[in-house]
Amino acid sequence: MNPILRMDGVSVTYRGSARPRQAVTDANLTLEAGATLGLAGESGCGKTSLALAVLRLLPRSAEVDGTILLDGRDIERLTWGGLRAVRWASASVVFQGAMHALNPVRTIADQIAEPIRLHSSERLSAAVLRARVVELLEQVEIPGRRRDAYPHELSGGQRQRVMIAMALACEPRLIIADEPTTALDVVVQAQVLSLLRQLVAERGIALLMISHDLSVLAASCRRLAVMYRGRLVEEGPARRLASSPEHEHTRALATAFPTIGDTGSRYPGAGEPAGETGSARRALLSAEGVSVVFEDRYRNRVPAVRGVDLEVTGDEILALVGQSGSGKTTLARTLLGLRRPDAGVVYYDGRPLPTSGRRLRDFRGNVQLVLQDPTGALNPRHTVYEAVAEGLRVHGGAADEATRVREALEAAELRPAEEFTGRFPHELSGGQRQRVVIAGALVLRPRVLVADEPVASLDATVRGEILALLLRLRRERGVSSLVITHDLGLAWNIADRVAVMRAGGIVESGPVERVLLEPEHEYTTELLAAVPSFERSVS
Amino acid sequence: MSAPPNATGVTGRRLAALTEGWRVYRADRGGAFGLAVLLVVVALALLAPVLTRSGELDVTRVQGAPLQPPSATNWLGTDESGRSVLLLTWWGARMSLLVGLSAAVLSMVIGTVVGLLAAHFGGWVATLLLRVTDFFLVLPALVLAIALSTVLSRGVFTIVLAIGVTSWPQTARLVRAQTLTVETRPYIERARALGGGHRHLLGKHVLPAVLPLVFATTTLTVASAIIAESTLSFLGLGDPSMISWGSMLKSAMDTGAVTAGAWWYLLPPGLGIAIVVLSFTLCGRALETVLNPKLRGTRR
Repeated sequence: MNPILRMDGVSVTYRGSARPRQAVTDANLTLEAGATLGLAGESGCGKTSLALAVLRLLPRSAEVDGTILLDGRDIERLTWGGLRAVRWASASVVFQGAMHALNPVRTIADQIAEPIRLHSSERLSAAVLRARVVELLEQVEIPGRRRDAYPHELSGGQRQRVMIAMALACEPRLIIADEPTTALDVVVQAQVLSLLRQLVAERGIALLMISHDLSVLAASCRRLAVMYRGRLVEEGPARRLASSPEHEHTRALATAFPTIGDTGSRYPGAGEPAGETGSARRALLSAEGVSVVFEDRYRNRVPAVRGVDLEVTGDEILALVGQSGSGKTTLARTLLGLRRPDAGVVYYDGRPLPTSGRRLRDFRGNVQLVLQDPTGALNPRHTVYEAVAEGLRVHGGAADEATRVREALEAAELRPAEEFTGRFPHELSGGQRQRVVIAGALVLRPRVLVADEPVASLDATVRGEILALLLRLRRERGVSSLVITHDLGLAWNIADRVAVMRAGGIVESGPVERVLLEPEHEYTTELLAAVPSFERSVS
Repeated sequence: MSAPPNATGVTGRRLAALTEGWRVYRADRGGAFGLAVLLVVVALALLAPVLTRSGELDVTRVQGAPLQPPSATNWLGTDESGRSVLLLTWWGARMSLLVGLSAAVLSMVIGTVVGLLAAHFGGWVATLLLRVTDFFLVLPALVLAIALSTVLSRGVFTIVLAIGVTSWPQTARLVRAQTLTVETRPYIERARALGGGHRHLLGKHVLPAVLPLVFATTTLTVASAIIAESTLSFLGLGDPSMISWGSMLKSAMDTGAVTAGAWWYLLPPGLGIAIVVLSFTLCGRALETVLNPKLRGTRR
């Protein structure tokens, strides 16, 4: 059988900046018709460059060497018109951010119809087009009557389905999916993945899927390829890569994603609070019957958090897990005093949260926030030093400011601190930025850190380092953490206790081992079942 | 290294930041050029009474023939009453710069404060401020300026006030929009969680992010203020004894200099406006690189 895609010695080099940067070096790949291949690697390893080179979708500054044969045709030799015909008709792309890849001012039916209209030789009547669009929408399990919806009226998972419907529109022989589920939470991710897997199998479409998450790839691809610094370091059947990875980077990627229930995935020290245990420990930060209600555009009252009781005791890591939209971030903001609860009380150290003035500021020094996106959480105009010192200055300044900033940076494992103080956030890597955010919180010597998805935007290996840092802060400095996440694996990695949140209420909470291994509530079971597992999906 | 960890106290830190800012500014060639031109123009304008004799501007005491092309005696020719155009342009720069700058600064300050407060506080503060902004936005600015300068006493200050008070709504709208965008950034939430109050948020995070935009609009406001000043002085609402570039252009139109082909009468004030406006734009862009570190690597 003729391979649908064949890459021989493909290299991608970006020119334009001061010195050329080679994103992909000498990659060889073959994809048979109907086969599925997962391309794994960390951000910046060149996996997207390699995949987009297939359709020559790279920016002008990129130079592609080697040969790429798509369905037997050399895409370098294709004319502009020939390339247009190939794009979408023989290979299509499911882009990463469904939020941004869809045009916000056109209905989804229009957008799905667009490639069909562009690629058909005769003019199609409106009725034919509409029937085709409805058929495509139903294939991706969106009711046909929603065809006139605009992207913002759909949920993230539905938008991703629309992207898949678009990719299927011209019945291509190859679909390239670039991180198709990264922005989705576990339950929706599982649905989208199974849909993609099923469609590809039914139609004999070849799938090239890109992800940083090996377990996601293993759930939908038969073969896996691992990229590291622009090179393909390992390729083989998913089963073999899972059982006996040869390259150390494959191993690093595989271990970075935890298997719930595997004690090896528990970080050393997790679940073993230092100091006194049990009832002797007091609640540091707690919520009693807290409710928060939002008012939407039409002045309808939408409850986001309903009567939640939660407590973070000293010297523990509590994970608050739930799907997106479950109200966990709103609850966190309320605990931080950034939002006032509409009912109920938040207590810190036994006293209700002050609402204003000096005492609120003092409270803020004790309970600090770490945000999901470290790039956005740092003012691009401030140096690392200024970002870390900001908290001190807000709290009236400290005579030994420089010393405390250095201490905080070193506590966040940015060593030597002097090397970082003068740098701007855009000069740092994602992991380093998150450390700066953590240092900015630590400089006030807080007792509780509230971390909202602290590793969701970080690479697999960096993820592990940041989690280990949180754990070490608890062990060495007794800093408690409330970690908000959609990732049950993260809870398994480091948390002592876990609370599961759904639709604004907490459905189950308790020690990690109990909740994750013997869940009592059916929702917890459902969440656990949706977590893609590297080992489970290949065996 | 821009923030020296060893600098002690607030003043030391600010001084260091200023020095660093100046270093970055100088590295931008366009900005350095614009600043140099502006400094020269301002210096010449300030030194006009020292370097020239104002008596030669008196219509009753001129010796030259009207509307003469450039010659050895009058390098830039003469106007309709025989005065040297070079001298007129020189002195006109004083008035134009003074009115243009002060009106632009006034409008910038009002616009920025209104925009920031409306966006930051929201609620009834925003409603009130935005309605006032709308009021000024829908009124024809020139008519309002004319009305203001008729009511108030004549003079430079009145013109500045009239132009400043009528040209701020655009700035306010822009600043408000930009502030709303900036305030959704996670670092604002981080600053709030650190315990920062309104002053800290606005002063440390929002204002620096909004300033480049403010500078950009202000450079344009300077230009339109210079034009507005000329319109007002043409209508007899300014100080008739003062010469400005705008009033030169107007009198060139009125006295038929344009139809007579007296290009030397039109070009100097026109070029003056163009050069000053261009310099302001260059300075604005250079300031932007100082305030936004991301732009640095690419421009050098």
